[in-house]
Amino acid sequence: MTTRINIGPVHPSTHGVLRLVADIDGDTVVNLEPHIGFLHRGVEKLVETRMYMQSPPYMEKLDYVAPMSYDEAYVATVEQAMGVEVKERAMWVRTALLELQRIASHLLWLGTMANDVGQFFTLFMWCFKDRDLVLRLLEEASGARMFYVNMRIGGLIRDLPPGFEDRAREALDYIEKRVKEYEDFLEKNPLFMERMKGVGVMDRDMAISLGVTGPVLRGSGVSYDVRKDIPYYVYDKLNFEAQVRSEGDCFARYKVRMLELRESIKLVRNALSKMPAGDALGMQVRLILPSAKNREVRVSRELPRGECMMYMVADPQRPYRLSIRSPTFINLAALGEISKGCKTADIFAILGSLDVVMGDADR
Amino acid sequence: MPTDSLFAIAPIISGYLQLSGTAAAVADTIAYAVAVSILIVAFDYIFGWVERKTIAKIQKRHGPTFAGKYGILQNMADFVKLLSKEHTIPKRADKLLFLTTIPLMLSLSIFLIFLLPFSPTLLETDIGLGLLVIFVLLSFMPLIIFANGFGSGNKFSAISAQRSVIMLLSYEIPLIFVIAAVGVLANGYSISGIIGAQSQWWFVVLMPIGFVVFFVVMLAEMERPPFDIREADNELIAGWLTDVSAPYYTLALFLDYSRMFLGSLLISIIFFGGWSGPFLPPVVWLLLKTFIISFFIMIIRATTVRMRIDRLLRFGWTWLLPLSLLNLILTYLLFIG
Amino acid sequence: MKIERSGLVQGARDLKTRGYSYLVKITAVDYEKYLEVIYTVRNLSERKDETLEVEIDPADAWVPTVMGEFRAADWYERELFEMFGIQVKGRNVERLLLEKWNGKAAPLRKNFTWNAPYETSDNQ
Repeated sequence: MTTRINIGPVHPSTHGVLRLVADIDGDTVVNLEPHIGFLHRGVEKLVETRMYMQSPPYMEKLDYVAPMSYDEAYVATVEQAMGVEVKERAMWVRTALLELQRIASHLLWLGTMANDVGQFFTLFMWCFKDRDLVLRLLEEASGARMFYVNMRIGGLIRDLPPGFEDRAREALDYIEKRVKEYEDFLEKNPLFMERMKGVGVMDRDMAISLGVTGPVLRGSGVSYDVRKDIPYYVYDKLNFEAQVRSEGDCFARYKVRMLELRESIKLVRNALSKMPAGDALGMQVRLILPSAKNREVRVSRELPRGECMMYMVADPQRPYRLSIRSPTFINLAALGEISKGCKTADIFAILGSLDVVMGDADR
Repeated sequence: MPTDSLFAIAPIISGYLQLSGTAAAVADTIAYAVAVSILIVAFDYIFGWVERKTIAKIQKRHGPTFAGKYGILQNMADFVKLLSKEHTIPKRADKLLFLTTIPLMLSLSIFLIFLLPFSPTLLETDIGLGLLVIFVLLSFMPLIIFANGFGSGNKFSAISAQRSVIMLLSYEIPLIFVIAAVGVLANGYSISGIIGAQSQWWFVVLMPIGFVVFFVVMLAEMERPPFDIREADNELIAGWLTDVSAPYYTLALFLDYSRMFLGSLLISIIFFGGWSGPFLPPVVWLLLKTFIISFFIMIIRATTVRMRIDRLLRFGWTWLLPLSLLNLILTYLLFIG
Repeated sequence: MKIERSGLVQGARDLKTRGYSYLVKITAVDYEKYLEVIYTVRNLSERKDETLEVEIDPADAWVPTVMGEFRAADWYERELFEMFGIQVKGRNVERLLLEKWNGKAAPLRKNFTWNAPYETSDNQ
């Protein structure tokens, strides 16, 4: 006999407003269906009614954990539609900022995931503290702590402030040390390994057919990283590896993100040291003429949560249609499939390892 | 006075009757009761504050700072706030079960603390089968939680109730074996006898395996992480406490710390020599040891992740049970045989 | 790659046999005269994307399901129905994807009236 339990939308560990309807038999999950839409704001429709550069604030609210990545993906789409080249220095600065944003996002993920397997907020607090260092850097660069809106057509709203590199290096050194500690803290705990290893296994074929992206896909042994495979900006000039694990369980996804944290730290350092001098300022918003040239634009970006593909049909003045392929949406769609047959407590371990942000899933 | 002989229930009861027969004894008992009650409340209060502060320090936060010096009055403020809130009873709940179980558990855990002597001169409650009585009563707790969980009429509470019984299955038998080993070593189950038997070596030295098993089981018994499976807040919201509203939740918190006190007391009495120690008076020694053990349990809470229920069952039967049996056999061979 | 509605499933199958086994996104654009449904699929080993574009009549808006070829199409097809009012034939959907949405209007079509009142519904 199965029992249907309704988890959420108000629940301690549903990462916002996610509702899960689970049929459980004893302690085993028979069927699980995520219900989404509590945070649906119709962004795709709203964008159609706004001028091009009025939309970045909307884009940032999609993924409130890594707002700058979305902002950048949208602005890059508009740039391609208008046929504008990004300035050389701006490319480097953007790369560094995006990787900093990835570090901040992954740190938050680490804390919440530890919470999901029953850590009493300790790692969560530590990670928040470290994330704050990154946020401080992003604040220096953009002027805001959470929603930056600092991307402009062809560049940025302002260049990096003087002394940014030194402060960034200092913060990154500290974070690198901490990441090592967190890894030890978790992986030397047999209980944690027991909760993660062999749980929520998704093999390579299943991952491909379910269409999951980002660290979840790479955790299942598929090496596909947009930064590596279709390099944008200066990723091809930087030295880094796409992190792949083949187990496909929660631990593999966890490990991929932990390794990505390290890679991102390396990338930022690398980008900061190689950064050329010059001008990084973009066009001011009020100077932008309604001048979209390309009709259809497709831009892929590797966000912290996975690949985002923006498909824009451009009118001269405003987007005729903007379709966002959000990584969380498709990763969450796989949750029901992955958690079939696992234990009730594992639902949350799997959910934590998928790293969902509901604003991103609902759009 | 109670004897140390096994299965001597009758002398215990008669011992009680004799005590209550005289007026002096009644007065003595009341004084003792008041003293112990104050002790329990004080421990719960101080421990609640220390736990908040310590976990905050581990997590690089400040913890309560505003109410009183170092936030010492914060728990008082919470207490007043919780009591002033509305008490709701869910429509689907079985009213009788829902309203009686938490007070019942609280009184049970306090009663069990009353069964423990705090110093060699306060032996009123030292009964011959003391330890056995305590653990028999303690094993009722999960059953009461089971009743409460089903009485709430809530699926999360019901799952929690099921887990409660599964937990009982996984650790109760190892616990009995460890207690048996303690009985073998101390030649009886009276608490003063157990402490007296540790005058030379603490039992933690004599049977380290038994200590480990006992400590793990007590963590589970006290619903402390990593075994807070019943009220796993990430899965079951608050487990069997999901529907419990403010005034009863206050009781539940009180219950939580009382059980903590009881568990730490038992560990310090059975394995760390209880009140024995130089210079300081016995009561102070006992409380000091209890507090250190509680502190240790608190640090475990801040650092570990939760176990899964099926893993706990497996752990109980594949590790705890053989280990406790081994401990019993070793204890018998080394010290008796 | 433009394709007819009747040949969509076959086209998807052909792509899949050529190694395009990863569905990136199903989306649609309302060009008022016609609706265009776009399937983006990817060959993960060659890192190449391919699109299937189907033009359909807004008055008779339906597409066959590609769930048989790509399991990832599940939520995208449901979204297609809720946002564009495009029926997906060949599969049954028990409930709407978005909670509290009655699914009667098609918000991403161009003729959507912004201020029209709509009722929320509690779908199971």
